[in-house]
Amino acid sequence: MMENERAVVPIGHQMGMPQLDRADILIIGNGIAGLTAAIEARRLAPDKRIVIITEQIHPTINTPALKQFAIGKLEREQLLAYPAGTERAERIHVVNAHVAEIHANSKYIKTSNNYGFGYDKLLIATGSAPQGLPEGTPGRNFDGVCTLHRLQDYLDLRRRLTEVSDAVVIGGGVHAIETVMGLLYWGIRVHWLIRGATFMSRVLDETASEIVLEHVRNNGCKVYTNTEVVGVVGRIGAVAGVITNHKEMIPCQLVLTCTGTNPVMTLADHCTLPLKKERGIIVDDQLRTSVPDIFAAGDVAALKNPLTGKYEPRALWYAAVAQARVAAASMTGHDDLANQSFGVQWHATHLGELSMLTVGSPLETGPNIMTLTDTSQGGYRRMAIIDDRLIGYLALGSAQPDSLAIKQIIDEGHPIRDITKELLKGSFDARRYLSQRHTYMAQAMLTGKLPSLPTGKPTGKLPAPALPAPMTTSARTSQVRSQPLPAVSMPTENRFGVSAPMPAQPAASMPIQAQRDTDALNPWRVERRTDTLMANPAISLSQGPTRQTDAIDRMQTQIPLAPVPVPASSLLEEDEEISPFTGSLPALPRQVVESTLEPVPVYRDAAQSAPTASGRNLWSYSGKQAVVRRERQTRQEENSAEKVERHPSHNLWSYVRKG
Amino acid sequence: MPNPVLLHKTGPQVMQELQACIGCNECLLACPALAEPITIDRLNHETLSGPISGPVARFARACYQCGACVPPCPVGLHRDAMMMWLKVRLLRSGGE
Repeated sequence: MMENERAVVPIGHQMGMPQLDRADILIIGNGIAGLTAAIEARRLAPDKRIVIITEQIHPTINTPALKQFAIGKLEREQLLAYPAGTERAERIHVVNAHVAEIHANSKYIKTSNNYGFGYDKLLIATGSAPQGLPEGTPGRNFDGVCTLHRLQDYLDLRRRLTEVSDAVVIGGGVHAIETVMGLLYWGIRVHWLIRGATFMSRVLDETASEIVLEHVRNNGCKVYTNTEVVGVVGRIGAVAGVITNHKEMIPCQLVLTCTGTNPVMTLADHCTLPLKKERGIIVDDQLRTSVPDIFAAGDVAALKNPLTGKYEPRALWYAAVAQARVAAASMTGHDDLANQSFGVQWHATHLGELSMLTVGSPLETGPNIMTLTDTSQGGYRRMAIIDDRLIGYLALGSAQPDSLAIKQIIDEGHPIRDITKELLKGSFDARRYLSQRHTYMAQAMLTGKLPSLPTGKPTGKLPAPALPAPMTTSARTSQVRSQPLPAVSMPTENRFGVSAPMPAQPAASMPIQAQRDTDALNPWRVERRTDTLMANPAISLSQGPTRQTDAIDRMQTQIPLAPVPVPASSLLEEDEEISPFTGSLPALPRQVVESTLEPVPVYRDAAQSAPTASGRNLWSYSGKQAVVRRERQTRQEENSAEKVERHPSHNLWSYVRKG
Repeated sequence: MPNPVLLHKTGPQVMQELQACIGCNECLLACPALAEPITIDRLNHETLSGPISGPVARFARACYQCGACVPPCPVGLHRDAMMMWLKVRLLRSGGE
């Protein structure tokens, strides 16, 4: 379907335009989704002409890090998402212009200064814009009524801080609470207005919300629940206070509205073919919109939520990166890479000393959903479980759990009967669990025991249950993913025959590499395989034993390949393929290890500042405690002394000023 | 039974963590081994692919995996595992 004939773009004649250019891949917007897609597309298609059109006058930045920028922990240069000059190094052309309309029939766009751009594939990554106060609110345009969304907004905030003693923050979400903590850090009296009765009512239950609000109150913020702003009072055009729906006036010099964002969809209205949109431009799992050759990714794209079936945008950093990579794979015709499941949503943040994590839908209730809660160790954890599978996890406490590992457990549908208690108590050691799991898998497959593994071990062979909602989607995507597999089963058999007898010879690895390229590119390949085998019993059951042994052969062939030493390496290249079963870390030469790590007494500060280290077995790498040299240590102590001076709390992410 | 393979996360996991990094620099601010200014974009970039520059290589050698970078991470990522990968890349590229 990607092989559409290239349309001729006769715009020069048609409209008398002075200039016309074209690109194979045209990307609108250089947020993280736009630039990630461009870089990924460059990797997948080295010869295509890739152009980014943007209105933003600065390079792509880490927008979540703007919170640190707001409290002066970071400088502007430290916000860059990719090293300076990446665009040029990757041969990505960046054009500064405003895109006015999309001519989808003839496949070109027109900028507001009458510049035409033909495209082969178009990606819309225009992001989102803050909502601000509702239209019609009196005084919403006064000086001092701001939103925080872009770099300029934060620069503006930092400029205003000196003249602010009281601030009002409006909104009941994560952005609002992070803004509150940032303002508290500067010693500003903060009044926080929440429309609902609880904080983040869709993600947190009442207990969790109360813990968070109590934490904020303890830090000096005044929280007003069930409160809305009906108007802003000003003096000579500048804010003097806000009036709430309880007919109360709160004096302030700054009003920050953190009431959410809307996707920027003006381009959808200026497209010659109808682009379907609801709350965002509707896309399928390969990020294709309703118009051929137009894709959307990032905050502007509305994907189907597997749980509710509704299309909604996921305005999160990680979602934007993941979507951009898939969009790049779709645009370059790498359908195998594009068939990647996004899995459940997750969000993690630190609120002062409190860390908060939500994965999936912990608040889901229903007849077959079991909910477990725990309040030990000063934290709060809530799990939603269907048939031994986790569907949602919520944790509040002093230590942040391994968020991505828990997401992986949910996405792959691991049985959690052995780890329920650890998860609930917040003492779950994800690294250990996943590592052991992979070891069991590898052992079972090497001994050919996989289909008849003893029950009770955390391995993949499960009775097929009535699949709950999250599993159905993953089953669907796996079905798609498993389709390309038979096509490459021939080379893998060859590969097994070639590689097994002489795994250490680099010469022999050459043809193997070539064959491996036909399979797919990492790193999704490993995940796809494990997914087919472990996470999805339905697939292997339905397709019978031959299918399974074929897959096992592939697993076995993978193992002798991994230790082959390769000279140049990167996580991206095919050489760097990592088998989750072997880990594929090469054995380090002994003298190198010793020269890198020198066993000297433990550095005290490090041990103290990492209270969770013992629990996570961070020192278990070497068995011995390795630290830098003595003279270096003193130098470090000086450095850290300086740091303490600059950031009074030293406990990072705690914005609150102490003493 | 002592467990010898808790060294690191697998490549796909490290890759995923690098993508999830929001670039807040908290791990670097907490690091006791960081001696010269390195920005998170460069560190992430070079952990992933491409040549490893001098400052990053020196930092990778100075890192002694104390784990001080892990608790401050607001999104719960493991910079220590990423650093381990950087070290492996450094060794493989003959940087020693």
